[in-house]
Amino acid sequence: MRWLLPEHIDDILPGEAAKIEALRRAILDRFAARGYELVMPPLLEYLESLLTGTGHDLDLRTFKLVDQLSGRMMGVRADITPQVARIDAHLLNRPGVTRLCYCGSVLHARPASVAATREPIQIGAEIYGDAGVASDLEILRLACSVLKLARVRGARVDIGHVAVFRSLVRAARLGAEPEAELFEALQKKDVPALEGLTRGLKKQTRDALLLLPELYGGAEVLARAARRLPKLPALGRALATLRRLAAACAIPASFDLAELRGYHYHSGVVFDAYCDGVAGPVARGGRYDDVGKAFGRSRPATGFSIDLRELAAAGALPPWRVKRKNR
Amino acid sequence: MQIIGIALSKGRILEEAAPLLARVGLMPREDPERSRKLVIATERRDVRLIVVRASDAPTYVQYGAAALGIAGHDVLAEHGGAGLYQPLDLGIARCRMVVAVQKGFDYKGAVRQGARLRVATKYVQTTRAHFAAKGVHVDLIRLYGSMELAPLVGLADAIVDLVSSGQTLKANGLSAVEEIMPVSARLIVNQAALKTKRAQLQPLIDAFARAVA
Repeated sequence: MRWLLPEHIDDILPGEAAKIEALRRAILDRFAARGYELVMPPLLEYLESLLTGTGHDLDLRTFKLVDQLSGRMMGVRADITPQVARIDAHLLNRPGVTRLCYCGSVLHARPASVAATREPIQIGAEIYGDAGVASDLEILRLACSVLKLARVRGARVDIGHVAVFRSLVRAARLGAEPEAELFEALQKKDVPALEGLTRGLKKQTRDALLLLPELYGGAEVLARAARRLPKLPALGRALATLRRLAAACAIPASFDLAELRGYHYHSGVVFDAYCDGVAGPVARGGRYDDVGKAFGRSRPATGFSIDLRELAAAGALPPWRVKRKNR
Repeated sequence: MQIIGIALSKGRILEEAAPLLARVGLMPREDPERSRKLVIATERRDVRLIVVRASDAPTYVQYGAAALGIAGHDVLAEHGGAGLYQPLDLGIARCRMVVAVQKGFDYKGAVRQGARLRVATKYVQTTRAHFAAKGVHVDLIRLYGSMELAPLVGLADAIVDLVSSGQTLKANGLSAVEEIMPVSARLIVNQAALKTKRAQLQPLIDAFARAVA
């Protein structure tokens, strides 16, 4: 036997494990100090509840198996966020604002990228029951402070708002199919495809959609968007929210108004944080107000999550040594 | 300042991209067609060309091994475009992706709804999606080159391949019966790189846009 592990699955050895654990404790302490209550959702659930209100992507990323007790299909969680939303909407049922946090392993049937593990340790925090920009701000600040705890270098954040695209589509009364095609093209900043797809739309809508892929960069983007995009109320509110975040963000921020990650369940601000040493985003967050609806209670929600393993590898946290005992 | 890599392939793409590279100020310091080097310096110290196989260009850019790349729309459709932005059609290496069959083959009859067709191609994903949208079953045979041979020797009923002049098809007694998509080369950008190295990448992208216009 050669004891090979499955692809994209590996052991975490002492040095790295100690670092991850130190970081986990520090982050959970930080969450607790800021008033976030810890919850521990189960590793697996029936598929219906696990995937309710989430996108097709999550379905593809979820390991599935048959429950021998009930004969029903179960999935191993690939993302803890929907589970926490279920807990808030279905089990806690509190009026007013609830702050929850979590940390646990998730399993990806397909690795997120060629170098990614299929077993990330997801840690994150969520605020339920407040639709205001203050919560978005609190979550963004909390995410930044976690990056600081991990002592990553070159931390920066890229912020978008799905209402920018959504308000343009709604105002133009486009159907689901053209919306999906435009979404696809915008995700890739595929300008040639956008030019084809927007042919035949009203000039105002067309110009706006063609401008979106160019609207990324520093805070000056927001001013440009306010000048050149149509004056729709929902769009104006989105830009105002982004201006508030721009003014208050503790780390360098950039804006991308065509960033529509998680468009299917996100409803407001979306952000990705980057740092040196990690190829993709290290933290992802945003507002997803309607996810709880599937569980019987629509609640405003905003939060972020981080892969602890990736964060520990990127951060310059001092090694946390344990004295080895020789007997 | 970090080094920016541009992944592109030798042959038609490099040939037709050369005038663009010159206008953008990225002339290679040696002739990539003659050099055996795979990493080639350019006029600018912070930019280098990375010579890859055409079908690998999106992969290099997706994983950030090169921040920028030039890839045909055919290759991008096959790759799926995950992790990439494709902001600019460079208008070079133009051709068409088509279905071709032997002269005399009844293609219309063969692609009735529910029919079954054997197709040889190197564009497996694109071909599958194309025929699935028509409701036609296809058995795909993945080939790496000389697709035109497959119908002649009875390996496949049809092929999906690129044509520009149509000479190779004609010489082998084949004809194009359906266009799947027009093809030209795109500038592609790694999504994370555009967010983290915008100050370096944006001027380059703008320069390409001016060179194309």
